[in-house]
Amino acid sequence: MAFEQEQMLKDVISEVLETMFFAMVDFGEYGPGDGSFDYESEISLLNHTERIAISLQVSEEFARMITANFLGIEEDQVNDDDLCDSLKELANMVGGGYHARINNTGWHLGIPRSWKIGPESMDTTHAEEGLVFAMFGEPAGSAVVNYLSN
Amino acid sequence: MSYNVLIVDDSKSMRKVILKTLQISGFELGECMEASNGQEALDILEGKWIDLILSDVHMPVMDGTGFIQSLRERDICRDTPVVFVTTEANEDRLNQLMELGASGYIRKPFRPEEIRALLSRIMGETDGFRTGTDVEGCDF
Repeated sequence: MAFEQEQMLKDVISEVLETMFFAMVDFGEYGPGDGSFDYESEISLLNHTERIAISLQVSEEFARMITANFLGIEEDQVNDDDLCDSLKELANMVGGGYHARINNTGWHLGIPRSWKIGPESMDTTHAEEGLVFAMFGEPAGSAVVNYLSN
Repeated sequence: MSYNVLIVDDSKSMRKVILKTLQISGFELGECMEASNGQEALDILEGKWIDLILSDVHMPVMDGTGFIQSLRERDICRDTPVVFVTTEANEDRLNQLMELGASGYIRKPFRPEEIRALLSRIMGETDGFRTGTDVEGCDF
């Protein structure tokens, strides 16, 4: 991931997590492949010729905590629907923030998705190039941005 | 005086968060209705008096642009303030929504103070909010 893209991703993830999910994360303590994550959310920015795919993976513990913070409920009240819906909103806001930081002419946001990572998942992108963020000294999640041709 | 509010967003979680934000902002909330897209919102507006609409832009079935276009064509809702709460970063699209009659927009992520400030301007500080409510440092 290019330095500029990585810095934008750090800024937007920090802003969204702090403002809406009341979670302070830090970057740099861990590298790609550190941590084990259970949920993934994804959103794309699209124009006529390119697609920017932003993917976030988080641990279940972190997902449950930020969902509880987001909804103003206790962690033991968080159900799977709440959790996946909140992770979609996380991706949506990270995508929107990234969009605001690039030359936004011609780009539009796609529909966010989220899912529980299963054992069949063969995607190694996060393990190879994920930007890992930590909370309380433990890896909480990983982010990847990919510029693709349509 | 309290105000009936309609929150339009395809995310159930975001609808809950917006409602909670209104509550902690000191907004004089009457009945709060929810819709998951523009078409559902129009159906609700057929039978219910609503004083303020807070809507997302990106939604399935009918998005925010289609919603406000349809809304402004209807006599009963022509003057109802519509505020968009959105991740949209494209200035052209936001300006288009304002030209179609939106009263304002708030970008996600937002702080409760931002919602309060915008709604104060739109609804009137003394009419729309309980006096003396301080949202600084509040928690959801």
